[in-house]
Amino acid sequence: MFSGLIAFGHSIWSFMTPESLFYVFGSTLIGLIIGALPGLTATMGLALMTTLTLKLESSQALLILICTYVGAIYGGSRSAILLNIPGTPASAASCLDGYALARQGHAGRAMGIATSGSVLGTLIGMFFLALFTPILGELALKFGAYEFFWLTVFGVVISGTLTGDDPLKGWMAGFLGLFVAGIGQEAIYAYDRFSFGNRDLAGGIALVPALVGAFGFAELLSAMKQHQLPVKINPFDSVIPKLVDITKYWRTILRSGCIGTFIGIVPGVGEDVAAWSSYAAAKRVSKEKELFGKGSIDGLMAAETGDNACVPGAVIPVLTLAIPGSAPAAVLMAAMLIHGVQPGPMIMVQSPQFVYDVVAMMMFATIGILFYGLTLTGLMIKVLQVPQTVMVPIILVLCAVGSFAIAGRVFDIWVMLAFGILGFILRQLNYPMAPLVLGIVLGDLLEKSLRRGLVLSDGSLAPFFLRPISMVMWISIALIIGMRFDAVRAIPRRLGALVR
Amino acid sequence: MSADDKVSPKADLISAFVWMAFGLAVVIASWRMDRLESQGASLYTAPGLVPGILGAIMFLLGVLLAVRAARAGGLRRDGVPWRLTPELRSVATRVGGVLVLSLIYAAGMVGHGGIPFWLATFIFVTVFILLFDWRRRAALGQTAKGVLLAVVYGASTAFVVSYVFQEVFLVRLP
Repeated sequence: MFSGLIAFGHSIWSFMTPESLFYVFGSTLIGLIIGALPGLTATMGLALMTTLTLKLESSQALLILICTYVGAIYGGSRSAILLNIPGTPASAASCLDGYALARQGHAGRAMGIATSGSVLGTLIGMFFLALFTPILGELALKFGAYEFFWLTVFGVVISGTLTGDDPLKGWMAGFLGLFVAGIGQEAIYAYDRFSFGNRDLAGGIALVPALVGAFGFAELLSAMKQHQLPVKINPFDSVIPKLVDITKYWRTILRSGCIGTFIGIVPGVGEDVAAWSSYAAAKRVSKEKELFGKGSIDGLMAAETGDNACVPGAVIPVLTLAIPGSAPAAVLMAAMLIHGVQPGPMIMVQSPQFVYDVVAMMMFATIGILFYGLTLTGLMIKVLQVPQTVMVPIILVLCAVGSFAIAGRVFDIWVMLAFGILGFILRQLNYPMAPLVLGIVLGDLLEKSLRRGLVLSDGSLAPFFLRPISMVMWISIALIIGMRFDAVRAIPRRLGALVR
Repeated sequence: MSADDKVSPKADLISAFVWMAFGLAVVIASWRMDRLESQGASLYTAPGLVPGILGAIMFLLGVLLAVRAARAGGLRRDGVPWRLTPELRSVATRVGGVLVLSLIYAAGMVGHGGIPFWLATFIFVTVFILLFDWRRRAALGQTAKGVLLAVVYGASTAFVVSYVFQEVFLVRLP
C-alpha cells in the first residue's frame, strides 16, 4: 500500500519539470480541440499524436498521448452542450441534457457540470487504475496460451456486441480485423500470407496508418457528406462548477465512476458505452426521472463522469493483459510498443514503476482539463466556428504525414487511404469501427496463442475448454453470442415450462 | 447512425454476398498455402490454419447476414438501394470530390514524390478550400476574399506542418 504511494509520489515528482508541464498543458489543449471538433475523435487524435511524438523520450511521448486522450474525451462535451453535436461518440449521451440546459440559458452551468464530472470521473478511474492494475497483473500471470486465445475472442465478440447497434455486423468487423492482422509474414516460419509478392505487404499492415485511415480519413469523408450549417451558439452563464451540483449528486458521481471504470476494463468497449450505461443507471434510480432529456443535471453528470472514468479503466487491461479496453486505448498500446514499453502480465514484475507513471500522467491530464475547463470557453467557441471546408484538408494533410512518419514508407499512405475508403463504406453499411481496430490489435496474440496452445496440447482441444479460466471465458462468449438468437433466448422459458 | 440512415435489406444482402465471397476466397487461399511439412510444421502450426478458420467464420457470418437480409425483404424487387436522388447525387459529388483530391495529393503528389511536400500541401489545401467553399462565397458575394483566404490557409498549413514535423519533432516528411 505504502510502497504504491511512494512509487506514485516518485512518478509525480519526475513529471514536475517545465518541459513535462508544457507537454501536459499543450497536449491537453490539443486533445480538447480534437475532441470538441465534430468529426475528429480521440482515436484519430491519438493516432496523429503518436506520429508526432516518435522521436521523444518514451515517458514524455506517453504523457502527451494520455493528456490528449483525456482532453479529447472531455472536449467532446463542449460541442455536445453548445451545438448539440457530440464532438466524440463518447459525448453523445451528454447532448441530451447538456444541450437542453444550454437552450434554457444554462450552457455555462452545463459546461461546469461537464468539467466537474469529467475531473471526478478521471480521478475515480485513476484510483481504480492504481488499485486494480497490481491485482489484475497478479491474476494475469496465471494466463497461458489457452486463456489468452479466449480473451482475444472475448474482446472481439464483446466489442462487436456493444459498440454498434447490430452485433452481427460488429462481429464481422472484428473478425475482419483479426484477418487483417495476419496479412504478411507469420510469426513462426516467416511465411508470406496474402502479400501477393509485394514486399511492403509482406511486412504486414501497420496499426497506426490503418487506424488513421479507419478513424481519420473515413471520418472526414463522412463529415463531408453534408454541407455544414452555420454554427449557432446559445448565450451562456458562468462555467465555474457549483459545489452544490457536486455535493447533491455525489451518488451519481460515484456510481458513474465505478460503471465507467468497469466498462473501460472490458476489452474493446469504450467510452461511449460507458457514458450511455452510466446515464441509463442514473435515470433508473434518479428522483428526477422526468427531467432526463430535458436538462437534467443528474443525467449530464452521469454521462460525463462515466465516459471520463472509462479512460483510466481502458488502460488497466492494456497494462495487465496487453488488451485494450477501447479504440483509443488500442492506439495508446501501439504507441507503448513503438516506444519500447512492453505491456502485459509481466509489467508489474519487470517495471512496476511504469504503472504508477501512467497513474501520474492521468493525474496531470486531470489538472489540465480542470484548468482549461475553467478558462477556455471563448477560444473553444472560436474553434467550433472554424468552417468544415478549412478543417478537413488540414486534417487530411496530417493523416498523410502521420501515416508516413511512423516508418518512412509511402506504402503506409496507401494503407491509410485504403482503410479510409474501407472504413467509409463499412460505416455507411452500419458496421462499427471499434471491433475492426480491436481485431487488428489482437490478431497477432490470437494466432500465437492458438498455435502455441495446440502445440503444447499436441493438438488436443481439451485444455481450451476445460481449464477453469478458459471455461469461464468460452461459456461467456457462447452466452453473449447465443443471447442474440431468439431460439437460444427461448431455452430458459421452455425449460421452465417443462419443469412446471 | 440515425434511423434515417438505416441500411436497406437490399444493401445488407449485397454486402453479405461480398462477405461470403471474401470468406470463401480466404478459406481457399489458406487451404492452398504451403503446410511446410518439410520444415517440421504440424497441422497446428501450418501458416494457413488461423486465416482459414477466420475465413470460414466470416463466410458463416455472411450467410447469417444474407438470411437475415433476405427475410427482411432484401430479395424484393422494389427495395433498390441505389436510386440516385438529387440529395444522393450531391453527397456522391462531395465525397467523390474529396476522394479524388485526397488520392491526387496523398498518393500522387506526396506519395510519388514529384514535387516538394510543402508545395503539394499548399496546392492541395488551397484547391480544396476553393472548390468546396466556392458556392458559399459566391452566394455571399465574397469570391475575392474566398480566394485570398484559401491561399492564406494553404500557405500557413504548408509552412506550419513542415516546420512542426521537421524542425520541432524531428519527423521526416515524405
